[in-house]
Amino acid sequence: MSAGRPEGHTRREALALLGGGVIWALGGCGPEPRPGSTLLRSLVDPDGDALLESGPGVSLQDRRELGGGGRPERVLGRIAQISDVHVRDAQSPARVPFLDRVGTRLGSAFRPHELLTSQLLAATVASVNGWRGADAVLVSGDLIDSAQRNELDWALALLGGGTAVPDSGAAGYEGVQAPSNPDPLYYRPDVDAPRYPGLLNRALRPVRSRGLKAPWWPVLGNHDVLVQGELAASPAITAVATGDRLITSPNAEIARLAGGGSLNRGQVEALLQGGLPGDALPVSPDPRRTHLTAEEAVARLVGAASGSPATRDGRLDYSFGVGSELQIVVLDLVQREAGSGGIVTPSTLSFLADALDATSGRHIIVTSHQPLDATAGAEAVFALLDSDPRVIAVVAGHTHRNRIEARGSGAGGYWHITTASIVDFPQQWRALRVVATSGGGVAIETWMVDHAGRPNDGNDLAGIGRDLAFLDPQGGRPAHAAGPRRARNVRLHLPRRPRRPPRRQPRLPAPSAPSRPPAFGAGDTLD
Amino acid sequence: MTSGPLGVLRAILVDAIRGLRARRGRIGLPVRTVFAASLVLGVVTTAAYALATGFDRAAERADLPSVIARFADEDRSTIDARVRRLPNLEARAYRTEFRRVPLAARGRHLREGVVQVADDARRGYAVVAGRDLRTRGDEAVIEAGLAREWRLRPGDRITVGPLGPARIVGVALSPDNVAYPLARTARVYLSRRGLIRRLGAGDFPVNLVLLWARDDARTDVLLSQARGSAGAVRGLRFTTRTGLRTLVEQGSGLVVSLLVAFAFVAASLAGLLLGAGARFEVQRRLPATAVRRAVGASPGAVVALHGAEAALVAAPAAAAGLALGGALAAGPTRRALEPLNELAPETSALAILLAGMWVLVVALAALAAAAAAWRAAHRPPAQLLRGGDLRGAPPRGASGGLALLGARLVAAHRVRYLSLVTVLAAAAAVVLLLLALASLLGSLRDDPGTLGKRYQLTARLPADRAPEVEAIAGVREAAPRYELAAVSATALGSPLRLIAYPGDHTRFEAPALADGRRLRSDGEAEVGAGLAEAVGLRVGSTLAVQPPAARELRFRVVGIVRALQDEGRVAYVRPRRLAAALPSLRGPLALRLEPGADRERVRRGLAALGAEPRAVGGATGESRGLLEALAALLRLVALTVSLVCASSLAQALALAAAERRGAVAALRALGADARALRRLLGGAAAAVVLPAAALALVLEGFVLSPVTERLVAGYADLPLQTSLGQVGLLIGVLALSIGAASAWTARALAREPVVAGLREAEA
Repeated sequence: MSAGRPEGHTRREALALLGGGVIWALGGCGPEPRPGSTLLRSLVDPDGDALLESGPGVSLQDRRELGGGGRPERVLGRIAQISDVHVRDAQSPARVPFLDRVGTRLGSAFRPHELLTSQLLAATVASVNGWRGADAVLVSGDLIDSAQRNELDWALALLGGGTAVPDSGAAGYEGVQAPSNPDPLYYRPDVDAPRYPGLLNRALRPVRSRGLKAPWWPVLGNHDVLVQGELAASPAITAVATGDRLITSPNAEIARLAGGGSLNRGQVEALLQGGLPGDALPVSPDPRRTHLTAEEAVARLVGAASGSPATRDGRLDYSFGVGSELQIVVLDLVQREAGSGGIVTPSTLSFLADALDATSGRHIIVTSHQPLDATAGAEAVFALLDSDPRVIAVVAGHTHRNRIEARGSGAGGYWHITTASIVDFPQQWRALRVVATSGGGVAIETWMVDHAGRPNDGNDLAGIGRDLAFLDPQGGRPAHAAGPRRARNVRLHLPRRPRRPPRRQPRLPAPSAPSRPPAFGAGDTLD
Repeated sequence: MTSGPLGVLRAILVDAIRGLRARRGRIGLPVRTVFAASLVLGVVTTAAYALATGFDRAAERADLPSVIARFADEDRSTIDARVRRLPNLEARAYRTEFRRVPLAARGRHLREGVVQVADDARRGYAVVAGRDLRTRGDEAVIEAGLAREWRLRPGDRITVGPLGPARIVGVALSPDNVAYPLARTARVYLSRRGLIRRLGAGDFPVNLVLLWARDDARTDVLLSQARGSAGAVRGLRFTTRTGLRTLVEQGSGLVVSLLVAFAFVAASLAGLLLGAGARFEVQRRLPATAVRRAVGASPGAVVALHGAEAALVAAPAAAAGLALGGALAAGPTRRALEPLNELAPETSALAILLAGMWVLVVALAALAAAAAAWRAAHRPPAQLLRGGDLRGAPPRGASGGLALLGARLVAAHRVRYLSLVTVLAAAAAVVLLLLALASLLGSLRDDPGTLGKRYQLTARLPADRAPEVEAIAGVREAAPRYELAAVSATALGSPLRLIAYPGDHTRFEAPALADGRRLRSDGEAEVGAGLAEAVGLRVGSTLAVQPPAARELRFRVVGIVRALQDEGRVAYVRPRRLAAALPSLRGPLALRLEPGADRERVRRGLAALGAEPRAVGGATGESRGLLEALAALLRLVALTVSLVCASSLAQALALAAAERRGAVAALRALGADARALRRLLGGAAAAVVLPAAALALVLEGFVLSPVTERLVAGYADLPLQTSLGQVGLLIGVLALSIGAASAWTARALAREPVVAGLREAEA
């Protein structure tokens, strides 16, 4: 349901804020409610001791850089955006956690809470289901971490409703976080503060999810089809993933190559041929760790999504409607061979033009995993979008941080919305509500929502996942990934505009090719 | 006249003051008793409080950081990019530390100077004289230990290595290390900006960062994340405030624990003394009490009067005793704190504490008197007039001589006699304990055997030359000994010491095994009970250690040993894993000599191999000054307790004499002179002292020492043994006390007219 009177939301918001304030003020008078909408309550660390606690809600702030500004009157559609979950097989030998020590540029190679990504997704699903009026859920890429079959199995089971057992190899934990690992650069929950004895075994127990109630629509991310989000799988790489040797610390040469950012496919293959040099843990081989090809990954996402996504030329480019007045156009900007940065292919550009032409009488939101403004060949896409008055927003993920910028154009402009990740702090998803405003304008109301994990609760694995993510010196807290308030809880106004397509040149400009090969590791890492 | 409770109180006080004025000459004894007890309490309270809180006080004043990280030289911005991301971080300050910088001033020289170049607002040290650095390059702040040792003051000049002379503008104290000369190095602080300006150079790389946690209770989280995100930072070592406290207090912890424990013993002793004194006073004044009761005074009024009088007597005596005790303890305490870079308490804080003790002592005296008076006041006046609870047969002539007669006099009231002997025995036992502890400190300082070390010498020679050393006549065994300061990986604020020998370490160090077995392989460890308790280890668990290396070490705990070294925070292992983690690991050869070996011959043998032998000291062998100061403190406490003993004895004699005034007067009437009285009283004193001394030996050997060992150092077998010399000393002191107390009491008796005593006997 998308059309009709808005539920008196201004007053409701006021009541919600009031209620949230009361709940917050009375905190401690009863069991702590689970986190949720930041309109009601937010998780804060007011005293800087790295412990999250409940704080007051954050109301919507009006932004009018593009004009408009009327009063919200009618809801046109509600969309939940979940981005960058990175469900990870933390025991996979194909992982490169040791690159973490090279520096922040490769900082996402190891996360202290990486064993809890399935629990984080389950807690996110529970939280999204709490937003009763959602019309669609946009899973905007990097659902999994390293293109492994078992990672996608777990993620799809949790999104669709079912049980995932996030264990691989032999039963029990075999990995860099084991207490027997003497390398202090890895967080070992049985050894290091904050200590969670037994967490490793608890994290491998079955995770249950009721699945998303609203239809969900996938957007392809680089980590969904590339190993570590960087490199297409090869037989040699997959042999490592399904093998029995997990490198824990590389030799100096690998560290030098990785640190210098000069590692290319040839070097990787050469290194793998001789067996990766460095200290290694013996682990149990597991064929479920096989890598997916891009085609397989796309096909599985299309097959599992409860929406009805489609593909064109093997790419996950498609469009779908939300209610009668809103159209979502999904673009696949993922490189298929190597590199985490986005790229606009002629096929995708052609699809976009066709999708815009095919849409009539609706507002349009374009979405992709990588933000367009950091995508090779995006000029041609901008040329299309800038000239179309129906485009109201471009929504992306990938950067793991919240950002909202106005892009003015001759057609009236639109909003660039980039959403933080579930895997890194603040571990929030974004609620998007498109509303018609008085005076004929339109606005996008958006706010952040916490997943259902309780902070500072040693029995809540998703909560522990957030607590650890908050501590991570390479994570979203120091990187300020949550962004300023104007990138989180805002009402983004747009002026009244025609809902018909613009006149367009019959021939599309070709997207420009990237000027240089992509550098590994420079992608979706917080810095 | 004011009615109501205030009026009653006023009336009681007026009565009490009037009574005390009337007996002005007889309040000396209770005054001395309270004074002696308060003196003990004053000394112990002052010393225990100052030592127990010295580190915290200095840390607070110096704004000591939660974590100090040292590393190889790095660009400040590179390090800061990591540090500023840490959780629970309130502030950070960077320094550049230069080691082995020659220092010279006032004709003194030191090679091991440490220069710290600082600029950030938070310093981590307290300026205790002069002022802090500004931005001039020729100014220096020096550490307090250096200032004390070289007698330097602000305004003096010091030569700082190649930088040349600098003007001392301040003296600083930081408890992140012990002071020079207890530490081999002395620290000098210079201004970064001033130095850059003076040298005309660019910024220095940094190699030290001070981190202040927002929540100190969560420093472990800050530290864990700092370690985890260190990445390629080389030579990283952390020190925490908690770890520093543990390290610094390892030198004095034993004595602090003892003093705190002893404060309770002293308080109990004081209570016993006050109780005994109160009973004596009540006993002495039974006739007056009887008269009061006979004329209608209620028991409550009698009790209130005695309580008020005791309080009035105790108040000035307790104040004087506590003040004197505090003053006496202040000097040794300060001398004990200075080498640790710790601060003595503010006079005001100590005054408040002693005031609290004063209230306690006065209340205790009043309550003790009131309790004794309560018992007496409930007896019929007629019984009180007949002597109250005085029982026992009068002296039956002088058979056995005057000394024996004296003994019978004092033992006539058996309950009181036994309690007196017990009190005196307890005090004497405490004195013995303190003397034994002072001796133990000396042993810790000098005797390696105290720490379970069975080797006597070390020699800096490579491990493969052990067979050549063993060939030297007089050397029984030689093996390399490795010792490494580390922290527990599961509690990074917990320091520990790894000690490693190839093969059986018990040949050289054999702390008693409390649980499990001795280690047999490279992956096993015997851990000290102190360490096991600190980080929750038991036989079968894993000891995770962070040595000063990139990687941690793991050992399986196979045994718990009762080691005294470093408060039991030690682990005995084999050296293979240490060497793998630290390729530069080196250790001297430990030499175990044959009994009676000729050390000079051994020295010559070692010299032929190119090595100089070094005698093995105690674990805290470098803390000579500290241990001496602590031992002095213990002896001071022992002295004050001895005064209590003498006071008790004098009181006992006075009481016996007072009770038998009639008999004594009769003896004097029959011609007994002052010498005879001294013999009489000497016998009485001996009757108290001899059994008390015997009981004291038993108490000390079988009760106090074992309990103290358990309380103070539950992690080790504390070799607390009283020597024959100490027993002899105690007996000598007691004998002197007998003589002094007899003479003093005899003199008091001789001053009294014979008639007065005879009149009392008739009554």
